[in-house]
Amino acid sequence: MLERSHIQSSGFDNVSEGGAVTGFRVRLRQPNYRGTRVSLVEGIDVTVDGEAFPAARNRYRIGGGDYAHGELEGLLDLRWPVGTTIDVMVPRPGGLTPGVHHVETVVWYHHPYFPPQFRPIPVRDGRHATIIL
Amino acid sequence: MSGAFKYGVSLYSYTDDLGTVMTLEDAFGHIADAHATGIELLGEANLPDYPELSTAWLDRWYGLLDGHRLEPTSFACWIDTEASRSRELTVEEAAAQLCLDLDLAKRLGFRFVRPKFGVIDDELTPHPVWEEAVERSLDLAAKHDIVIIPEIHAPTPIRHPVVEAYVDFIQRTGTKHFGLLIDTGIFQDRPLPFWQHETPEMREGAMSFLNGIKVPVEQLAEVIDHVPFIQAKFHHIDETLHDHNIPWERIVPMLKSLGYSGYLSSEYEGVRDPWVAVEQVRRQHALIRKLEREYDAAHAGQGEQADA
Repeated sequence: MLERSHIQSSGFDNVSEGGAVTGFRVRLRQPNYRGTRVSLVEGIDVTVDGEAFPAARNRYRIGGGDYAHGELEGLLDLRWPVGTTIDVMVPRPGGLTPGVHHVETVVWYHHPYFPPQFRPIPVRDGRHATIIL
Repeated sequence: MSGAFKYGVSLYSYTDDLGTVMTLEDAFGHIADAHATGIELLGEANLPDYPELSTAWLDRWYGLLDGHRLEPTSFACWIDTEASRSRELTVEEAAAQLCLDLDLAKRLGFRFVRPKFGVIDDELTPHPVWEEAVERSLDLAAKHDIVIIPEIHAPTPIRHPVVEAYVDFIQRTGTKHFGLLIDTGIFQDRPLPFWQHETPEMREGAMSFLNGIKVPVEQLAEVIDHVPFIQAKFHHIDETLHDHNIPWERIVPMLKSLGYSGYLSSEYEGVRDPWVAVEQVRRQHALIRKLEREYDAAHAGQGEQADA
């Protein structure tokens, strides 16, 4: 089973490319009560220790695929089911320092059954999480 | 004498518990232990491979239903009419979505399907494709013996063009496979606490319905002939069996006097701390069953007197 918080402890890690640490990832469980077409997720903002990483610059690993922010809108048939996680890939040369960080996320949902003025609606989480290496 | 209510629970009640501290097997156990007989499922929440459905999962589902002596009641689905910022579903796509969910519901043994259409305004007027999408699905609903029941949900009251359009549709088509699901949140007469992401600006504006739209329970009489299923929405019942938001002491006698004998399917929508929903659902069933017994006791013998 997954942790109650949207942000998961496991999965929070630095990521490397070509031998260099290029950024970090944050793992989120589906925080909505229903699974959603990925096209209904308008993006995910990440903030670590007050440093903002806006949704548009992040990449998204969903169901084995890797997508840029601009691709989300077209993913009508890819779903993010309840009880599963996705990884938000955040570019930051050198990654994060090992230790405990305060991580915040905002998932921007486009719920067709919400009044139009609340599309998108932000779903927030925040907690401490640990980078080991 | 009116008929007895049937008691059910929607798996929505255990949102956030399922998958973090509770398995589907646990949920079945809690529902059966509350002496309920029906279970409501949300397709794109509780089916792990939605819209696919494996035979292994079907076996698990029917094994759980048999083991806990529960029957499937309503299957919830979504017609995401605005499927992205830039893409609206066509009538054909909306109808295909509804038919897909009717097929899934049939395989899982459900008698009702609740489609949640996308909306076009603050009063939750459904996207205009709803009517043709439903009409194109009626033959399949008839074949599957399923009734399609969009919900009447706050802030939409009973006396509203949305409800009138649904009733007009029933009368125009003569269908027995379309009806109204009443969500008891429309009777809420005291404010809800601010929810997690709500701001004061939202509460003053389009979310003011969270203070309660206070539909008079007497208005149930105007639509009850079209209501085969009720979602018993609630938010908090304290240790004295007092509901802080929903006036069950008025809803239950009204439903009894109207002869309603369908399901009351618990939809707990309150604090999402682990396992709170388990106790809250039990309190709701204890409360509604108590009110039903009191109504029956107060009206015992009236049938005989009328016959004399």
